[in-house]
Amino acid sequence: MTAWKETVGGRRALTILRSRPFLTVAIVAAVWIVASFVSRGFGAYGHLRYLVELAAVIGLVAAGQTFVVIAGGIDLSVAAIVTVSAVSLPLLSWQADPTGLTAVLAVLALTTTIGLVNGLGVALLRVHPMIMTLAMATFLQGLLIIIAGGSAVTAENPLVRWIGNARPAGIPAGVLLWVAVSVIVLAAMHATSFGARLFAMGANPLAATLSGVPFASTTLAVYGISGFTSGLAGVLVLGMNGQGYVGIGDPYLLASIAAVVLGGTSILGGLGTYAGTIPGAILLVTITALITVVNASPGWRSILFGSLILGLLLLSGREQARR
Amino acid sequence: MSTVGSSRQAGALYWPVQLRRNVGVRGLFAVVMAFLVAYGFLFPGLFTASGFAKFTQSWFPLALVAMAQAILMLTGGISLAIGAMVSLGAVIAATTMTGPLGVAGGATAVALTGVGIGGATGFIVVKLRLPAIVVTLAGSFIIGGAALLILPRPGGAIPEWLSDLLAGNTPAAFVLLVLIVLLWKLYLATPLGLSLYAAGENPVGAYRSGVPVDGARVAAYAISGLLCTGAGLFVAAQTGSGDPIIGTAFTLNSIAAAVLGGIGFLGGQGTMRGALAGSLLLSLMISVMFFLGFTPVAQYVAQGLIIIGAVAIPQFRKVQR
Amino acid sequence: MATAPLLAARGVSKSFFGNPVLRDVSIALQPGRVHALLGENGAGKSTLINLLSGALRPDGGAIEVDGRPVWRMTPAYAQQAGIAVVQQELSLTASLSIAENIGLGAYPRRFGLLDYPELAVRARAACDLVGLREPLSVPVGHLSLGRRQMVEIAKALYRRPRVLILDEPTSSLSATETKVLTELLERLRGEGIAILYISHRLNEVMALCQHVTILKDGACTADRSLEGTDAGGLVRLMVGRDPGDLFPQWQASVSTANAISVRNFSAGLMRDVDLDIRTGEVLGIGGLVGQGQEDLLLGLYGAIPARTASATINGASSLPSGVPKANALGLAYVPADRKREGLHLIHSIITNMMLPAFARLPALKLRSRRAERETARGLAAQLGIKGDLDRPAQALSGGNQQKVALAKWMPHHPLALLLNDPTRGVDVETKREIYMMLRNFAAAGKAVVLLSSDTPELVHLCDRVAVVREGHIVAMLERGALSEEAIVSAAMGAEQRQVAA
Repeated sequence: MTAWKETVGGRRALTILRSRPFLTVAIVAAVWIVASFVSRGFGAYGHLRYLVELAAVIGLVAAGQTFVVIAGGIDLSVAAIVTVSAVSLPLLSWQADPTGLTAVLAVLALTTTIGLVNGLGVALLRVHPMIMTLAMATFLQGLLIIIAGGSAVTAENPLVRWIGNARPAGIPAGVLLWVAVSVIVLAAMHATSFGARLFAMGANPLAATLSGVPFASTTLAVYGISGFTSGLAGVLVLGMNGQGYVGIGDPYLLASIAAVVLGGTSILGGLGTYAGTIPGAILLVTITALITVVNASPGWRSILFGSLILGLLLLSGREQARR
Repeated sequence: MSTVGSSRQAGALYWPVQLRRNVGVRGLFAVVMAFLVAYGFLFPGLFTASGFAKFTQSWFPLALVAMAQAILMLTGGISLAIGAMVSLGAVIAATTMTGPLGVAGGATAVALTGVGIGGATGFIVVKLRLPAIVVTLAGSFIIGGAALLILPRPGGAIPEWLSDLLAGNTPAAFVLLVLIVLLWKLYLATPLGLSLYAAGENPVGAYRSGVPVDGARVAAYAISGLLCTGAGLFVAAQTGSGDPIIGTAFTLNSIAAAVLGGIGFLGGQGTMRGALAGSLLLSLMISVMFFLGFTPVAQYVAQGLIIIGAVAIPQFRKVQR
Repeated sequence: MATAPLLAARGVSKSFFGNPVLRDVSIALQPGRVHALLGENGAGKSTLINLLSGALRPDGGAIEVDGRPVWRMTPAYAQQAGIAVVQQELSLTASLSIAENIGLGAYPRRFGLLDYPELAVRARAACDLVGLREPLSVPVGHLSLGRRQMVEIAKALYRRPRVLILDEPTSSLSATETKVLTELLERLRGEGIAILYISHRLNEVMALCQHVTILKDGACTADRSLEGTDAGGLVRLMVGRDPGDLFPQWQASVSTANAISVRNFSAGLMRDVDLDIRTGEVLGIGGLVGQGQEDLLLGLYGAIPARTASATINGASSLPSGVPKANALGLAYVPADRKREGLHLIHSIITNMMLPAFARLPALKLRSRRAERETARGLAAQLGIKGDLDRPAQALSGGNQQKVALAKWMPHHPLALLLNDPTRGVDVETKREIYMMLRNFAAAGKAVVLLSSDTPELVHLCDRVAVVREGHIVAMLERGALSEEAIVSAAMGAEQRQVAA
């Protein structure tokens, strides 16, 4: 027993050191250090910057997912919503507004509405979140093919291109966007009554309702947020890609859930933080990059990806028994 | 509903218990019957031998995956790897059956893979205490990857006589389904089988009562895996070849069928007969849409709407009451 | 007695996360004796039961069966050794039938399959012992809480135990059911079964038991014959000081103004009820378990749909449409099942105490952790909740958990408190504190509605008691007319009735 552990500051430091978000950060750091020794070019600033830029997309999708999971739900429609955003944006005319802002806002309004519909189903119709959002994903999948057909559409919207490619002060605009969203998300989650309600609803919805937490409106808000951040991710991925096509959002379903869980948020709800999801997203991108370096067939890549996530879960994702 | 009254009649227990289990699914059975009648009315071909064979064949794999999902949900688990397991079963069947292993060897390989992977998943979820939804999501990548390794693109072959037997003009699918249901009844009459419900709904209480909770849950995952790869074999026989992503749609449909059939997400709620009825209902809807000339795209849209509607309406009524 | 005890613990200790819960405790269960285990909540009774039944393993000491130490005790081994436990938290599965629940884990088999005819015979025999007449095929989920408790007892008897452990078996039973149980235990004792009986109801213990072990803070403070002791002496041993009176002395403070007034009120099982709740009174709600009392509270609170011809609630002229609305009208509700409905067990005590505040503040208002901590400290000091407030609520004993569930409403100064069995499974000391709080609350001109299954509580604490039977208020007893007999006879109706299942 050393004395510093007994001081207030020492206790607080210990809490942080033992916390799950910190563990995830430590894993990311370790992987980066090892990988940059093993693979030349991995540790280069440009490469790491690129990784964080890719992580921004996952991070945005996972922001909404973190809200939903903490509140005791799950959103399996995020991938479809990303695609909706990336496919419908190029179809919107932006000529009337030379900045392209109106089109982006219109698309975000659309995706938020989709999220709100999810919320309506969960809160008012009492459909289980997994069913509601899966059905929504199926529904959107059909709708997308009707709207966009099979072909890719090119984005000409100047704002979208800027978000995807600009580097003010050497930092990708997408990363700046992610930082801004992260600050807002963390504040909403941990510094407002709204955030406190989410944790209560996730841990024990019945007790939360009997304590006066407005169940319906909070649920609506949570799924609305998820629709919004997925839409934002769609805008970013469209800007980075230049083109939108059906299926562009598909990788982000598992990625968003994995980032949330790897970051230490309980999939059962009620416990967690977006501060863990952020390194979780970066960790995922790093894994994917390493797998690409290995240069394996799609089958092996898929197996490696799944196994690594499973391995990381074993390391950090145990759920304590509840009840 | 008092089928047995006094202690004198205590000897008759099994059938009254079964009758009580029907109470919750009576409404569903009525809806399914109505759909069947309407379907038979629209397409009188259903009542010919070939029409019946075709219909049961389109239902069969969905029925299997619905059972596979339901057995997990009864124990309080879930699987998002159902589709990948079906694909894996299909590619294994398509690559082994015409090879040196032959049909029997191939079928054994399919079954062992299902039990093995299912059991391993169960072990990870139950013994290592990882959340089922994340494990099976990651597992779907591993299993899907394995399917791609075995068969990178659609190909392989199923012996023609097997295809004809299972998916030709025979009632084989229906007979198999009846057999599987009987086997399930038998399993449910073993102490391990009935423990499924207790393990799902009240694991602590079940453990204290001396129920092998962990064993019951791992066994459920193994059985679920077997049902999935079995469905894969059948799908391969239907198409005559293997396809590494053919099972993808089954993940959603298995959950939808189970939930339509009244299986709850919290464990221990619902019955297998409900899940089967749910899968039949879903299968009927898909067939009807197909015959009415819906494009595949419109089918997606309609299916999404129908699932939400079917789940929401009973819930909504409950809230209103 | 020369014979070895059937089941015994010798100097067992157990800690959770470094907190010692039991220290060097010994207990010996002899055949043909009803042995009482007493102690406040958190004294370690449940842990001791779990050790005796193999659900937990001791850190030190040994469990002995027939005088021989058993090193790896498991629930399965305990069952083989003839030890059956009736847990406080039921071990039943709602979707299985009565018979399937009774046999769970010990089914009779034929060819490896469950032998339904044999199960029916044996389950029926067990049910007859406890007076369960429902068909064996009824799913347990369709039974009331009291009947489920009886199924749980039948389940223990089905195993033909030599040792029967009952953890608060009567807390959800009606008077009739309690009587059946008492007679049954007397008979089993006569057959030479060793019984360990845990209860907070001292009169039951005095009537039924011969020997008592008392735990206080994880240590044994008494292990003696019950002969020659009185209830007061037992309480002294449990709390470590003189008991005094359980119920406070109080002056009526009731006014003529109504806090809540409803006409033709219907919700859940309640049908067309007229009720006036006055400010400054404690209104008791009594009756057999499951007659609709809970629906009355939940309906007033806006938690379940309710209809009424007219309603006045703290000045507003309609029922609240939802819980947030009810809170705004000054209503607060304390549920009976604190683990499932009252608390967020995995969250800190502070968060639990602050939840109603979070629920009613504007959603995007920034929190002040410092202010939250100060409020929570104040509440904890006021209610005597000791220790680190950052601990999760599940670390608290039942009594302290109930205090938290009550305390969280205090900063909002509710005008009417709706309490659903607030002292169920709560130790004597906490009970007394809660009673004081309720009377003080009424004295401050607020209204208190106290739903209780503990009849003495209704008699000694309430200004009036409304007795509910089959969804109607069948009697409104004024303080002068209050007695346990009056409440029970009103609850049962003119003739003795079966409890509706």
